[in-house]
Amino acid sequence: MRERVSILDGNTFLVCDRRGDIEPSFDFPTGLFSFDTRFISTWLLTLNGERLHALSIDDAQSYRTRFFLVPGEPTHYLDAKVSVIRSRSVGGSFDEELTVLNHSGQEVEFTLRLDIGADFADLFEIKHKRHKKGRTTPSVAGGELRLAYRREKFHREVVVNTSTPGNIDESGITYRIRVGPHGEWTTQLHIATVIYGARGEDIRATLPLGGHRSAAAIHAEQDELIARAPKLGCDCAPLAGAYRRSLNDLAALRYESIALGVRLLAAGLPWFMTLFGRDSIFTSLQVLPFLPELVPPTILMLAALQGSRLDDFRDEEPGKILHELRYGETAGFEEQPHSPYFGSADSTALLVILLDEYERWTGDGDLVRRLEYQTRAALDWIDTYGDLLGTGYVWYRTRNPETGLQNQCWKDSWDAVSYTDGRLPEFPRATCELQGYAYDAKLRGARLARTFWNDPAYADRLEREAAALKERFNRDFWIPEREYYALALDPDGRHVDALSSNIGHLLWSGIVDESRAAAVVGHLLGPRLFSGWGVRTLGDDQGRYNPIGYHVGTVWPFDNSIIAWGLWRYGFREEAGRICESMLSASRFFGGRLPEAFAGYDRDLTDYPVQYPTACSPQAWSAGTPLLLLRVMLGLDPQGEHLIIDPAVPEGMGRVELLDIPGRWGRVDALGRSRTPRDHARGH
Amino acid sequence: MGEAIEQFFASLPARAPAVLRGPTTGAIQLDLTTGNRTDHWLVEMRPGAVRVTHGRGPADAIWNSSADLFERLVTGRAAAMAAVLRNESTYSGSVVLFLDFRRFFPDPPGTRDPRDTARERLGRSG
Repeated sequence: MRERVSILDGNTFLVCDRRGDIEPSFDFPTGLFSFDTRFISTWLLTLNGERLHALSIDDAQSYRTRFFLVPGEPTHYLDAKVSVIRSRSVGGSFDEELTVLNHSGQEVEFTLRLDIGADFADLFEIKHKRHKKGRTTPSVAGGELRLAYRREKFHREVVVNTSTPGNIDESGITYRIRVGPHGEWTTQLHIATVIYGARGEDIRATLPLGGHRSAAAIHAEQDELIARAPKLGCDCAPLAGAYRRSLNDLAALRYESIALGVRLLAAGLPWFMTLFGRDSIFTSLQVLPFLPELVPPTILMLAALQGSRLDDFRDEEPGKILHELRYGETAGFEEQPHSPYFGSADSTALLVILLDEYERWTGDGDLVRRLEYQTRAALDWIDTYGDLLGTGYVWYRTRNPETGLQNQCWKDSWDAVSYTDGRLPEFPRATCELQGYAYDAKLRGARLARTFWNDPAYADRLEREAAALKERFNRDFWIPEREYYALALDPDGRHVDALSSNIGHLLWSGIVDESRAAAVVGHLLGPRLFSGWGVRTLGDDQGRYNPIGYHVGTVWPFDNSIIAWGLWRYGFREEAGRICESMLSASRFFGGRLPEAFAGYDRDLTDYPVQYPTACSPQAWSAGTPLLLLRVMLGLDPQGEHLIIDPAVPEGMGRVELLDIPGRWGRVDALGRSRTPRDHARGH
Repeated sequence: MGEAIEQFFASLPARAPAVLRGPTTGAIQLDLTTGNRTDHWLVEMRPGAVRVTHGRGPADAIWNSSADLFERLVTGRAAAMAAVLRNESTYSGSVVLFLDFRRFFPDPPGTRDPRDTARERLGRSG
């Protein structure tokens, strides 16, 4: 398999091979995508009938690539008399400049051919290998190639223009050109995508922010965003590299929401270039200390799309926060439930947590007041529809067995929740971290009620409920003989007893009894869960453990960042530092860009973190990970109007200096320095 | 114009206090087409209240669809966002208004409380 090259701007992205070509693919999303539709599925360049191969690729920018190509396969004797440069960018549309360079002393005639095709596949048709129900019609007129797809009133088009005239036919463009000695020839191709909506206009044309951005505009916007972020000075090169890469990727993953005309963060390339409740909330929590202005659009959008009715197909209930919103054909024609889909049992509590954390950092009480009703509805959901069995816990069970999600927690693959012996429990299931989030949401909701909604009685009630939940949870989920919390309860209230990373999220939520924290930490940093590169999703002696199993053995950077936050919360700074060190060491092997997940092999076994085959990259909550780790190492926590800075930098990392941290205090600087081995010998 | 649609609009003022709990204010115009005829409704929304007029008016947003689709929406047999995504209806203007307005649409017919279903399956009563 050839290595793929990706560029993106928000949820418009292009995936091609190392020559810049796109060949039809029915199992992996190669091509040009926008709003979940593949607008270009064939884009193949030949020179005199021959394919080209890459001498080098310049992909330093997230939205632009340049390919330097020569004819023939790499095995051929290379004596290129001609070379081709393809320079391209995405930003709402897709632009490519083709340049042919004649290196010989004579004028030469060339035939340059670009094969072009569009299958208008919905991302889910690629995932599930389905065939199109509508019709694609190509047409050539006025010097452009137009490919139109229609299914009832659903209508999408891609229009290809060339600046230098060529022979355009229904499957591409042929240029017959003469290039002078040591001369060059160039054409600009412009590829516009159209999503038809009201009055036959592009749906994006009516958005307040406008849908199409030039490469220069993207560059300026990314630079401005990065300029606003705090400045990092440090001795640790991987940390500096990961921080810079993360800011770039987060800037690139912002996209225009069709629904609200605000910029949201797409979750991950290529499968998840859309709004996810859980992913966008966790990413927001990670970036809050650095780029707080990214957060309110996410909160507002999720609140505006809050569930309002019972709908089995979408797993929707009043007060629930969405799981996933898609814009494509399968969502529109209800072949998939993502319009939006509500199959997550955690995003509702997580939104309350985010709103509170956001206010603690920014002092934006207006937003909290404005969202009082939605926040109360979310808190109500926890105790009503969330508590499917009426036992005081949050449970899940899909009402859409065909296209819904079986597991509605962050580990949402079908086999992610199991007993130690590998058996899978019945539904409904109550995973442990859902109860932690509910506990935290109640306490944070109480603070909001008391401070902003003038409702101390409600605040008292929420605090009483939280205390009761903590007591109940510590009784029902704790497995005394193993000294950890069960991954879940099954419908009979029995322990689903696998050892999993979920227990780390419990520390973050604060639901762990102080007396049990040390035992939980021992497991997280013990040999069964800790690989040396991070905490595995599942212990390596569990029935379903697989070092390359999506949620049953791989290491997820986002998961580790939340676990590190939890360790810090309970005072385990040295252990939190070990997670930070392992993640940052791993990031070096990915050019500073932590992927969605990597394999769970022991660090001793492999000297580098092994890539997970289909991991998304960039992935928003992986890009957010180095930011949250920085917060953990520097011990940044808002208290009233001030920012507490309590650094504990891991040994060997040296100086870590973060300047201009924004918040309700204006901007402040934080400085941390790792202790020397001699300091360390004196102990805590 | 179907009776269900008339009834739906007539019910809005009484339902508004429970449904419109957010701070949104604005007018949404609904253009509902049957054959060559288009029927216009104007719903002026503010926190806890609506005013419904059978006609056009200055609006912050316009919904356009067949009366048939709208009837399916007001009886819970269609979902509004999916209809927009497949372009069976079009919408322009303030999206926040639409997201608030959609809260008036009922559950699909025959939908049961998922808690009852889950507890029944396990042989438990609520």
